[in-house]
Amino acid sequence: MIEEIDPAVQAGPRIWAIGGGKGGVGKSVVTTNLAVAVARTGARVAVIDADLGGANLHTMVGVPSPKRNLSDFIAKRVSSLSEILTPTPIDNLWLISGAKALLETANPNFGQKGKILNHIAKLDVDHVFLDLGAGTAFNVLDFFLVARKGVLVVVPEATSVENAYFFIKAAYFRKLKRAQPRAQVKAAIDEVMKSEARRSVRTPRDLMAQVMAVDTEAGAALMEEASTFSPTVIVNRVERLEQGRLGAEMGSACRDYFGIQLRCLGTLPYDNLVRRSVDERRPALDLFPQSSFAGAIRSTAAAFIEAPAEKVG
Amino acid sequence: MSHARYEDWLLLDLSPGAELPAVNQALHYRRALYQPGALATYNLFDEDERVRMLDRIDEAYRRITGNEPPPNRGQQPSLTVKETNNEPPTGSVPDPRTEPGAYLSHHRRAKGLNLEQLAAETKIRAILLQQIETEAVDDLPAAVFVRGHVLQYARALGLPDPNEIAARYLAKVKVD
Repeated sequence: MIEEIDPAVQAGPRIWAIGGGKGGVGKSVVTTNLAVAVARTGARVAVIDADLGGANLHTMVGVPSPKRNLSDFIAKRVSSLSEILTPTPIDNLWLISGAKALLETANPNFGQKGKILNHIAKLDVDHVFLDLGAGTAFNVLDFFLVARKGVLVVVPEATSVENAYFFIKAAYFRKLKRAQPRAQVKAAIDEVMKSEARRSVRTPRDLMAQVMAVDTEAGAALMEEASTFSPTVIVNRVERLEQGRLGAEMGSACRDYFGIQLRCLGTLPYDNLVRRSVDERRPALDLFPQSSFAGAIRSTAAAFIEAPAEKVG
Repeated sequence: MSHARYEDWLLLDLSPGAELPAVNQALHYRRALYQPGALATYNLFDEDERVRMLDRIDEAYRRITGNEPPPNRGQQPSLTVKETNNEPPTGSVPDPRTEPGAYLSHHRRAKGLNLEQLAAETKIRAILLQQIETEAVDDLPAAVFVRGHVLQYARALGLPDPNEIAARYLAKVKVD
């Protein structure tokens, strides 16, 4: 587990961790364009390439070769994250690059992760967009959980939806393990799983109900922990009208299965101009401001801007 | 409407006391989510649980309305994952003039490729490749894209004369 965030740091930036479980769903493109859209409203935004293994956000925000990156911080060549905050050609937008991360830093240990997160919470900006790598490694899950505002990017394809659920499951169980008091909760879960009641446990939601039945306190602790897990989803590359319902439908499915809220922040259309903007190494929002994608990005950004500031941890 | 419990409304995604048209609409959406192959529940619930959810939804509807739910005709979920055939082809090669989609599918399977592998090869998304194979006219994009996709598909499989195949394909499906 990661370190708890320093309680002194309460009104820090809103930290959005953007994951997806699957590569190739457009995470970085969505992150970049959302960050630009939020920066355009005058809010100060930092994008952090936390895809420690395969970073490329720098190219997308127009900083082809950042001089400093996260590995300088991890290797203690700089003492604070603000020293590696690189201005971008876009007003109000800064970049912390993960580029050229050394192989060994692609897997920071618990202490390093906690340190990175504490420093992120101290950055003097209004929003932080953390672009996480694909996959469900503990690193990614921990950043996703601690950021509190976790965003999954999915596309309307079976493999993407499947990966998103796999990711939510992994993050959810990692989160439930933090329910306190740990020993009591564990004992209650064990009791359920040894009893006849285990037959009726088909989903995490059932498990919580059964734990509640054997030990109210442990059940309440689990529910408390689950209630603070409310990931959000952005559906990217929507081509057909009915695919626009995917975000809402996944929300329904998550409530039924996990007993959690999965809110849909936005639905972005498939747009050929997006690929062209990537080829030109500029955000689609700038290059094709009239495109359907840019329009949808702007309305999705509103959901980010309106989100209340919140203490992290 | 007297027997409904709070959970029943919750199960249909409704606020307690919603009017009948809203209840019917909710029934439709909730059932669609649990049809076999629905994208939004893909691989989340096992088969028993999926069927049980459909029963619970109908049960909630009964308690809320006091009526039998309309028969569940297994309506198409709004988003589906179609099963694709990845088996090696049997029988003769389909005629590219009358069955261009099947013709492409035949050659793909003959090479032992599934749609995902072909998608990686052609950079065309698997679902589009599938729509091309099934000649899903309503789902296909504009002709200019279809032509390009069929060309790439045919080239990736090393089929003779991809241009001819693309022309035949367009003549068959007549997308505009």
